[in-house]
Amino acid sequence: MQQLVNGLTIGGIYAMIAVGYTMIYGVIQLINFAHGEIYMLGAFFAVTFISILGLPFYAAFLLSMACCAICGVLLDIFAYRPLRQSPRLAALITAIGMSIFLQNLAMIIWGSRPRPFPHGSLPAYFEMTAVTFGGVRLSWFHLFIFGITIIMMVGLNLIIRKTKWGKAMRAVAQNKTMAALTGINVNRVIAYTFALAGALGGAAGILVGAYYNSLYPTMGYIAGVKAFAAAVLGGIGSVPGAMLGGVVLGVAEAFGAGYLSSLYRDGISYAVMIIVIVLIPAGLFGKVLKETKKSM
Amino acid sequence: MTPILSIERLFKRFGGLVALRDIRFDINQGEIVGLIGPNGAGKTTLFNCVAGVERPTGGRIIFAGKNRSVSLVGKKPETVTALGIARTFQNIRLFDNMTVLDNVKIGRHCRTRSLFFGAVIRHRAQRKEEKAITDSAHRFLEFVGLQGLGGEIASSMPYGHQRRLEIARALATEPRLLMLDEPAAGMNPQESLDLMNLIRRIRDRGITILLIEHDMKVVMGVCERVVVINYGEWLAEGAPQEVQDNPKVIEAYLGTGAANAA
Amino acid sequence: MFILQKMKPGIQIRVGFLLLALILPFLPFVSDYLLHIIILIFLYMILALGLNIVPGFNGLLDLGYVGFYGIGAYTSGLLTYHLGLSFWLIIPLAFINGAIWGILLGAPTLRLTGDYFAIVTFGFSELVVLFLTNEIWLTRGPLGLPGIEPVSIDLTLFGGPKWEFIGEVPYYYLAVFMVLVTVFVMHRVQDSRLGRAWFAIRDDEVAAVSCGINLLTYKVIAFAISAAFGAVGGSFFARWVTFLSPDMFKFWESFLILCMIVLGGMGNIWGVMIGAAVLVSLSEILRDLLPLLGLPVGVRFLAFGLIMVLMMRYRPAGLLPIPAVAAQMRAGRVKRKKVKASVGLKK
Repeated sequence: MQQLVNGLTIGGIYAMIAVGYTMIYGVIQLINFAHGEIYMLGAFFAVTFISILGLPFYAAFLLSMACCAICGVLLDIFAYRPLRQSPRLAALITAIGMSIFLQNLAMIIWGSRPRPFPHGSLPAYFEMTAVTFGGVRLSWFHLFIFGITIIMMVGLNLIIRKTKWGKAMRAVAQNKTMAALTGINVNRVIAYTFALAGALGGAAGILVGAYYNSLYPTMGYIAGVKAFAAAVLGGIGSVPGAMLGGVVLGVAEAFGAGYLSSLYRDGISYAVMIIVIVLIPAGLFGKVLKETKKSM
Repeated sequence: MTPILSIERLFKRFGGLVALRDIRFDINQGEIVGLIGPNGAGKTTLFNCVAGVERPTGGRIIFAGKNRSVSLVGKKPETVTALGIARTFQNIRLFDNMTVLDNVKIGRHCRTRSLFFGAVIRHRAQRKEEKAITDSAHRFLEFVGLQGLGGEIASSMPYGHQRRLEIARALATEPRLLMLDEPAAGMNPQESLDLMNLIRRIRDRGITILLIEHDMKVVMGVCERVVVINYGEWLAEGAPQEVQDNPKVIEAYLGTGAANAA
Repeated sequence: MFILQKMKPGIQIRVGFLLLALILPFLPFVSDYLLHIIILIFLYMILALGLNIVPGFNGLLDLGYVGFYGIGAYTSGLLTYHLGLSFWLIIPLAFINGAIWGILLGAPTLRLTGDYFAIVTFGFSELVVLFLTNEIWLTRGPLGLPGIEPVSIDLTLFGGPKWEFIGEVPYYYLAVFMVLVTVFVMHRVQDSRLGRAWFAIRDDEVAAVSCGINLLTYKVIAFAISAAFGAVGGSFFARWVTFLSPDMFKFWESFLILCMIVLGGMGNIWGVMIGAAVLVSLSEILRDLLPLLGLPVGVRFLAFGLIMVLMMRYRPAGLLPIPAVAAQMRAGRVKRKKVKASVGLKK
């Protein structure tokens, strides 16, 4: 049962990262390999703001999210936008290149040893137990994570369904040319998508960093792969799918690690990803990726 | 005599849209048949169904092979080509980064065999095959009038030449039925005349031709029989002049066809 | 010398390099360290040429190449360690083994679209690393596998001597030989029905299919041969450094080799080799240079990431693009009037 709680917690976080992948794929058909690095930067930004600017946790949290949003937009403008017309291979290689660049940049700035949040910076009550039932312990931090996750998911859904920007995002995802013809500034919408994805990813990074109280520059790599597996599981391009996929993967991983060898815990994501892609490419909710074909 | 291609009750649905409804006609060996109709009538979809690119939702397509008849429904495009049906594309699809000669050589693919072992070891059979491929590729280029241009990069050639190259490549697959999708598109009158000559010469080689075309001069000039489809349905069929005078056809085109052929 | 002058300039350069390569170990300034680096370059040339088949000839992104490299290395290492098999027997076995893995992985996955295929290959190579790390009973995991016998030429069966490879020089010549064989194979394949089929798939899959090319079959062949070369490279590596550990086969290697072919010119055999030479040299130079500049050695990776991003932005075709692209680039720089071809059709 405790596994279930752990699974849901980590699953919610995977979901937050996964929607980032899926939204960006939706609008520009690119797997943003560097997304995991934004997640990592979120955690490091927060730690830096706390230790250097002396900000309290929540302020650092929000400021870091904002910075990650900006980072996402910068990533688009400098790395991906110039390649809009290029073949997909070029953009994919650029994405991987940016991922490696950012990972190593972080290593240079912050060093490669794992570091914790500055002492005493995390709200004290996080550690304390909020609820206990059936042998399961939920700390306030668990509740905080659940809360943030749910707020973000609901908020994202509202943005996508109800706001003008959300509709524009969906339009661009469906058909860029038509969207442009109806007066939508496609580049700006894409930037907006990156900003949203970045903010969510950054938030996830802070939560994970605080949960394990350990940050390191390559944390984005593993988490990124898993979140991507979750996005694929849910059907890439589908936001609700990514959310569901994240939760499912988190729970599967928690149970798998509990009952199978924990050495292969990471392997579960890879295996899930491969099996899903090969057997049901459309995932739970998505549509099968179509190669862009020249018209006949 | 059995027709070389027999289309019966052909249906093609894309989700809610019916692209082809109950199409039926035959093509006889050695004919040049034109397939005309307003834009969006379903002509290219029909080609795609025959070629195996799309799978018909219903109906039969029977191709008279060398020894026996074969149903084409559900066959993959590469199988259809190997059976003896070649096609060209409405928006030319050449191998842009390869030379003209290589483009035609690839057309020989379905009639040749060597793979990795042959490529590396180059035993006598492989060398013979390669020489045959190269020689025949040159002959096909000569046939369409592109002799001497084998070394050019395909995408660097003028449009008219690219069209002819695509036809050469299709011919290299040794088809018994050649389907041309708007070969005259974008051609000036002289080029169209040359094209008509080419089509007749192809037929003289024993190849049956099915031709989608909007240029009525070409249709009237080379086709022995014309099939008209509109909104995915068979509308009329007959000798070019009959079809041109058919009031239903004129109505479908709203007079544009008649104006073009004047 | 007379013969040399008769050859075309391109061939002259290559023969020149070949002669240089053959006498290199005997030149005065050449140390063991330098030989080691050059052997490393040759190894990566073989790997890069192998990978080149998939993205370069076929236009498919393979992110899991290191998986085959690792499988080849460990299989070869374990066969040597436990069974004492001769290197000369292991090479063809490695080729076949690699090809089998290529077929096993490729057959179900090459029907997928490019992005998905890339991800699956990535997942595969990560699983390989996990397997190598965790199956300690087989691979000794993170402790690594030491004590692999070096290469030897064993003529004892025929009553002759057994000559073990000691030091860098014998491996150097072995590497030269293997590179030459690889280049030979790639050249022959490039100019053959198989190569043309691959290029057709790269340029336009729909048109390729209309010419009778079964996409899955040819993609699987490409993937299998690519994997085979990866495994061969791995086998050489195992018998050369005589020590293996799972962290030598991480995703970074796949990316590095991909960088080599992108930098050098994807699809162009010589470009790929130059890319390998440049990146390995750069890596070594940076490894020595960076501490002098006060920067941590890890900055090399950062530099490579940046190089890739910049290459994609400004010269995606690489340093030596394939001929067709090079021609287009030249044409783009020079404004040319369309020449009307006066070619007539036979009446």
